[in-house]
Amino acid sequence: MQQNPESSEKWEVQLRKGSLELAILASLWEGRLYGLEILRHLETSSDLIVVEGTAYPLLNRLRALGLVETEWVESDSGHPRKYYRLTAAGRQRAMEMSGIWARFSASMNNLLAPLNREKSKPTGEEKP
Amino acid sequence: MTVSAQSQKTVDAYLAALRKQLRELMDEDVNDIVAEIRAHILDKTSGETPGDSVSSTLAALGTPEELAGRYRTEELLKRAQMSRSPAFILRSIFRWATLSVVGLLVFAISVVGYLVGGWLSILGVLKLINPHTTGLYGEFSEHTWSLSFSSGGQPAAGVHELLGWWLLPLGLILGPVLFFLTFRFDLWSVHRFWRPRAWR
Repeated sequence: MQQNPESSEKWEVQLRKGSLELAILASLWEGRLYGLEILRHLETSSDLIVVEGTAYPLLNRLRALGLVETEWVESDSGHPRKYYRLTAAGRQRAMEMSGIWARFSASMNNLLAPLNREKSKPTGEEKP
Repeated sequence: MTVSAQSQKTVDAYLAALRKQLRELMDEDVNDIVAEIRAHILDKTSGETPGDSVSSTLAALGTPEELAGRYRTEELLKRAQMSRSPAFILRSIFRWATLSVVGLLVFAISVVGYLVGGWLSILGVLKLINPHTTGLYGEFSEHTWSLSFSSGGQPAAGVHELLGWWLLPLGLILGPVLFFLTFRFDLWSVHRFWRPRAWR
């Protein structure tokens, strides 16, 4: 079968884009972080590498929607940093999205079970 | 580690270009965004672990045009997400009214629409509660010409009730309909006219 790597990649990009909102809300669950900390948190605790130029505009929308609030905090580095914190609405939204995510991935895994069985078969049994 | 003068120039030029591209957003938002991106660049290029060069940091952010474009896209997404919230629509129109004549006009029409709609609805309900003393009263004589709604007290002599039971459907149906139409009008106006100037 001819593979089409380009369209698979595109699909993955869309998938990541769609889950970024939840990923960012989740990374703020434990407390306030500034933009670069959020990016690093996503990178280290998952392998979600987020393009910086995408994350900041998204954070701005989450703020405008009232899901996060921001404050400027002075730092030792000589310049203030803009910290993000979940609001009550943001916590609620994150919980809702997390529930949707769990249900969705469970049904997808059910649906994909036959494909995964195919993958785990020894190579010798592959159909010609 | 300090950023060299050349790098400083590059960063300043980038931020100035970004500010220019963001001009259609609210001023306070623009200042906030530019300050945040500046802090991001400083954090990435100086400090304890200066892993990144200025050029790679700027490349990761995209060109000022691309970055500003994403902010504008998110702004529109935000509007789409909030567009069904009456509170948001009203706030937008209020802000819009302070900015342009069209906004002021939409605001004026909305105020009249909501007031008359709300008032008719209330009268319809009052007619149900006090059917005999609520009505549209008119006094027409050689010297006076007046028209008023009232409920509760006894009408003065020489004053005629004009609508009778018609007030009931008028108030209970036309009132909410007017209210709803005004809201639809606001929604339509905001979506039709209130857009970023240079949205591509």
